[in-house]
Amino acid sequence: MGELRVEQLSKAFPTAQKWGRSKWHTIFNNLQFSIKSGEFVCVIGPSGCGKSTLLSIAAGLEEASSGSVYVNDSPVRGPGLDRGVVFQEFALFPWLTVRGNIAFGLKSKGVPQAEVLARADKYVDLVGLSKFADYYPSRLSGGMRQRVGLGRALAIEPSVLLMDEPFGALDALTRENMQLVLSDIWQETRKTVLFITHDIDEAVFLSDRVLVLNETPSRIVCELKIDLPRARDRSDPQFQRLVKQLDSAIRGDNNTTKHFGDN
Amino acid sequence: MKSEKTLTGQLLSNPVPVDSSTVLLSAGSLRHFGEFMVPIAVLLALWELVARFGGLPPSLFPPLEDIFRALLKMSGDGHLAADLAGTFTRLFQSIAIGAVFGTIVGTCMGHFRMWERALVVPMNFLLAIPGTALFPLTMIWFGLTEAAIISILIYEVALTVTVMTWTGVKSIDNSLIRAGRVFGANGLSMLWRVLIPAAMPSIISGYRIAFSRAWRILIIAEMLVSVSAGLGYRLYFAREYFQYDMVYAGLFVVGMSGLLIERVILRTMESMTVNRWGTVRELK
Ligand SMILES: Nc1ncnc2c1ncn2[C@@H]1O[C@H](COP(=O)(O)OP(=O)(O)OP(=O)(O)O)[C@@H](O)[C@H]1O
Ligand SMILES: [Mg+2]
Repeated sequence: MGELRVEQLSKAFPTAQKWGRSKWHTIFNNLQFSIKSGEFVCVIGPSGCGKSTLLSIAAGLEEASSGSVYVNDSPVRGPGLDRGVVFQEFALFPWLTVRGNIAFGLKSKGVPQAEVLARADKYVDLVGLSKFADYYPSRLSGGMRQRVGLGRALAIEPSVLLMDEPFGALDALTRENMQLVLSDIWQETRKTVLFITHDIDEAVFLSDRVLVLNETPSRIVCELKIDLPRARDRSDPQFQRLVKQLDSAIRGDNNTTKHFGDN
Repeated sequence: MKSEKTLTGQLLSNPVPVDSSTVLLSAGSLRHFGEFMVPIAVLLALWELVARFGGLPPSLFPPLEDIFRALLKMSGDGHLAADLAGTFTRLFQSIAIGAVFGTIVGTCMGHFRMWERALVVPMNFLLAIPGTALFPLTMIWFGLTEAAIISILIYEVALTVTVMTWTGVKSIDNSLIRAGRVFGANGLSMLWRVLIPAAMPSIISGYRIAFSRAWRILIIAEMLVSVSAGLGYRLYFAREYFQYDMVYAGLFVVGMSGLLIERVILRTMESMTVNRWGTVRELK
């Protein structure tokens, strides 16, 4: 239904110009991984390691220096409605209501007008905003705004959902609430998800598998399967153990890295 | 699981605030009307005081009574209606053409690098030439006709709106454009589905400046070019015949018309768009 493959992906940005020759800052080199259909994968890593860059390339908003991202075996060449993106900064259209925002992608898809409304309303419901369907984003709370962002991405019924620290701008309580909302929705829809975060707890709570990146030029230093049953309980000792393991992997503890690298 | 349901429940059971757009035409508009009439009443009262007790010649400071009599006379003999019709037709024709042109060109300049590169230099060149300085030229081209006026108004409006739209589109938050691209807006649909609404605060400011510039130029132009009816023409005509009360009445009408354009058209445009969306703060 929706498989995402990252193959030999490299990205470098030009930095300061020196004597007319630009120097290059390599963000990552030959990055390689894939996400199975219906799998929820979190990518975690220190700030500046290129997580957003990776997601932008997958979304088709940024070009790779070499290598490609494949969605269902076709290479990504620019943005497309087979991928729904949820942005860290929400990026809602302030001139459209909640319903209008969620319907935006449907209109681009050429869904007939009558069906657009019905389908938008279905997703307004799914993200729990039916009472606020006619509100403009300026009058919603942060949590509600990101529900709209999630609804907008889900409404186009994409093969793959790409999320860049979607809850990073929310307070702790709202974030946990949103994680529950997402977890529920995911169990219902079983989308393929690439989820970026730097919250270890969030990664363990949500995903089937976690990929850990290190500092630039970054590579995957650890891959960890999360086999806990859902809905997950943060106080479960198993949960705590996985959080600890990830924590030491991110801190670059070599022994642990090797150990989990085998996983 | 349970905690989520109660949290969501609390969120959703919050009282729904009244949408400000629905009360726009009821209680709010009465208060607005009052807010805008009070300063006018104060000004009129001051005028009357100076005219009656200031000891100035009545030809320079005619009392309100004379001005209103002149106003009544103008509206009674049909001149006022014809002048208003003439002036407003010229204004709206040129605003409509200039604003559409400026909005589209400005948006393209703000979004497509080719457009920007090609047009920035000519735009800056033209910005240095005031519309009024083109009068000699348009009079040669079109003679003393409507076209001589309207072409200058279109020039001024188009240029103003282009600059404001261009800068407005350039300062759109990049994340909105990225979201637009991700959700299928491209090329033309990017313009009207994302860029124009996102730049609406600047675009409306552009219309506002364009309106006031066009209005000033239009009144002067009507004095220079002998059109058959128009507020500027009426002012000129009144002075020629030493009808000072008529001059004041004409000025009063010119001022009121400008005010009404601002209040009725531009404010409505704002409250229907940027104020409703909450992208421009409304002062409490
Ligand atoms: N357009 C650009 N031009 C030059 N360098 C860039 C550009 N975009 C990103 N970078 C660089 O790429 C690196 C990775 O940036 P990126 O935004 O992907 O990090 P990140 O992992 O998402 O960090 P965070 O967790 O803080 O969001 C940074 O060093 C940044 O300076
Ligand atoms: Mg980032």
